[in-house]
Amino acid sequence: MHSLIQLSIVVLLLPLLSFVILIFFNRRLPRRGDFVGVGILGTAFAISAYIFWTVIVQTYDPAFRVAWDFTWIDLGKVPGIGHLQIKMGIVIDNLTAIMLAMVTLISLLVHLYSTGYMAGDKNYGRYFAFLGIFTFSMLGIVLSDNLFSIYIFWELVGLSSYLLIGFFFEKDSAADAQKKAFLANRVGDIGMWLGILILYSQFHTFSFEQIYANLAAGKFAMSNAWLTAAGLLLFMGCVGKSAQFPLHIWLPDAMEGPTPVSALIHAATMVAAGVYFVARIFVLLTPDALHVIAFIGAFTAFMAATIAITQNDIKRVLAYSTVSQLGYMVLGLGVGAYSAALFHLVTHAFFKACLFLGSGAIIHAMHHEQDMRWMGGLRRHMPWTFATFTLATLALAGLPLTSGFMSKDAILAGAIGFANVEGGGIYYLIPVLGFFSAMLTAFYMGRQIWLVFFGESRTHLKPADNHHHGLDAHSAHDDHHDDHEVHEVSWNMRAPLVILAVLSVFIVYSPNPLDGAEGWFMKMIKTPATVVGPANHNCTALHAETPSPLMAEAFPAVETHGATDAHAVTGGEHAAATGEHAFADPRQAEIAHAAHAAHFPAIYISSIMVVFGISLAGIVFVFRIIDPDKTAEAIRPLYLFSLNKWYWDEIYQSTFIKGSVLLSKILSWFDTNVIDGIVNGVAVLVRNLAFANNSFDKYVVDGLVNFTAFSVNTTGAVLRKLQTGKVQTYVALLLVVLFGYFVFYFTRLIY
Amino acid sequence: MQHLIPIGLNHYLTISAFLLAFGLFAVMTRKNAIVVLMGVELILNAANINFLAFSKYNGGIGGVMFSLFVIVIAAAEAAIALAIVINIFKIFKSVDISSVDTMKE
Repeated sequence: MHSLIQLSIVVLLLPLLSFVILIFFNRRLPRRGDFVGVGILGTAFAISAYIFWTVIVQTYDPAFRVAWDFTWIDLGKVPGIGHLQIKMGIVIDNLTAIMLAMVTLISLLVHLYSTGYMAGDKNYGRYFAFLGIFTFSMLGIVLSDNLFSIYIFWELVGLSSYLLIGFFFEKDSAADAQKKAFLANRVGDIGMWLGILILYSQFHTFSFEQIYANLAAGKFAMSNAWLTAAGLLLFMGCVGKSAQFPLHIWLPDAMEGPTPVSALIHAATMVAAGVYFVARIFVLLTPDALHVIAFIGAFTAFMAATIAITQNDIKRVLAYSTVSQLGYMVLGLGVGAYSAALFHLVTHAFFKACLFLGSGAIIHAMHHEQDMRWMGGLRRHMPWTFATFTLATLALAGLPLTSGFMSKDAILAGAIGFANVEGGGIYYLIPVLGFFSAMLTAFYMGRQIWLVFFGESRTHLKPADNHHHGLDAHSAHDDHHDDHEVHEVSWNMRAPLVILAVLSVFIVYSPNPLDGAEGWFMKMIKTPATVVGPANHNCTALHAETPSPLMAEAFPAVETHGATDAHAVTGGEHAAATGEHAFADPRQAEIAHAAHAAHFPAIYISSIMVVFGISLAGIVFVFRIIDPDKTAEAIRPLYLFSLNKWYWDEIYQSTFIKGSVLLSKILSWFDTNVIDGIVNGVAVLVRNLAFANNSFDKYVVDGLVNFTAFSVNTTGAVLRKLQTGKVQTYVALLLVVLFGYFVFYFTRLIY
Repeated sequence: MQHLIPIGLNHYLTISAFLLAFGLFAVMTRKNAIVVLMGVELILNAANINFLAFSKYNGGIGGVMFSLFVIVIAAAEAAIALAIVINIFKIFKSVDISSVDTMKE
């Protein structure tokens, strides 16, 4: 076993140890055992950092990969299935090493931060235990080398998110949110499991490597549509976990959990699991499946961004921005910008964790006030939070010199390249939605920064009716807030903010602030060669030769992409560089090439969009040239549409939930009337049959028995009279019988 | 004396029938156990007369032998029956046959 594998097993099991210790013994440990959680995560991070150092810094090989597995369950020959063996295994490649370091680092920082944020909570110890099991499950997903174990850890992540979202389960809203999250995830997981079964039915293995080898060898016996279906079903798991469009509804509600949990689960790691999973199965996704994925991602990014601009809860804005950014990542994977999407996954994890922890600091300082309308002017009171929050905001908006800029632009460049290669007009919708969402992102983050940190405190503007103090005490209470109570948070909450903010700066990832591709990340994470693509190449080549004149005009740099021969060569080189397959899908190479060519147009457009978005936020909220309230009044239907989150909750309420209730009512009716009717009918039938049987017994069988007894008795009673005890009677009888005999005898003789 | 009819089989049988009738009558009507036994003797002797009569008119010695057996058995029967009657008398202080009915229902 490779020493890295051994170390990674230690990293995997350490958080589980933390969970076991804390869930059983937290009340017996000093400080409820929070030092156990922090210490164990610190150790895990140290080991992960060593793995990261070994793999990324020392080895520095895009094709680095070590794997190990063992047979977990061997059921032998199972009738109808064949040899059923379930293996567990660990794979470490560059992506795993990066994810390992990222998850443990963010988890460590969240643990540290929580010692301040959650201090004094009555379930303090259990909180750290839940963080432990969550980290364990996430690391399990990252390290798994097969679909089966990834599914197990997938469900564990679902469970731990359920526990953490509903941590304040006394609140109805938290209990509802945890149920919603769990159910939405279940819907996705069912699809994922079906996808796993399709692949298993074909190859009789869960291992990624074997499945891909079999696919590359063309052993998929069913039609291509089945492969597309398998890919999309597996993607459904991502739709649930990464909050993509039809199932995105749970993530904003999940903000009911403690804020550090939002940072850990709903920004940095759990939702990243979906994207990570799609990256793992990327090579088996057919072009058709990728198109669907790209459109879902683009739509999610756009929709969530439009919702985020009107939300008032500080965490809800961030939640919708998370959904939007996850849409970007999925879009990136869909268009084939594999490394860009994963790059965005990592950069987003850091700056979004920073934003959530910063919002946690604000909420903590504001005494659990989450509504941005009643904040304002916090930059004077919380300089550290202000600085880090702003830096992370800039990264989220995608301003140059930040990490978010590089990764988002790489995705958008990929989207442009993809649209060019596909050539159809509708495919340009993807980059257009992407750019528009980038503008909206800049707008709503500018709005948030302004509302929270600038201007004067608006605490006193808060309507008193839902305040727990009386009207008289109200203003005094607010003054109290402003002068004495809003203060910077303690060091253990500040340090994570600073570390995460530093990780949002470009230099960590790439020496060139404009091009992430020159950095170590994009060099280490190369798009793997697809194992299903070549079949569809002919049609994409046709598309490629007829580029849309519109986009050709817009992006002269990509005009030459029609020369397919040149791209085939590029594809070959690309494949040689990744060193994984002897052949490469020309389509993939084409997209990669076109994306590279679209790099600068993407930078220009997105920079303009971001600057425009921030300026718009400034015009609206800072200088109030356009009054936001009047504008909202002017476009009230649109405003309400956004404020009410596109009415998705209402739509689901009236369709799926009402439908489920109706269905259950129908089934209940069916149960009570038909099933129960049948059962009761059978019961009545049996009962009547039993009665009939009983009567037969009672009257016929018993009657016969009694009649026999009665007749014997009666006969006996009659015959008993003959027994007089008198000899003469007997003699008389003898004579009578004798006489009778003679009469009989002689009668016979005569006739 | 020609009116006299020579004694034939019918005469014997008639006598025997009368004897049987008298015996039966005695057995069925008398209450005294001794008289009942006497009736039984009459019946046995009626049978003996029959045996002898048929033996005489039929030839052979079988009827005679049979009647001898009957006489012997009648003697044995009389001995046993009288012993029973004596025991009945001991128990019931009476030889009234109608009072000996403890075996009735």
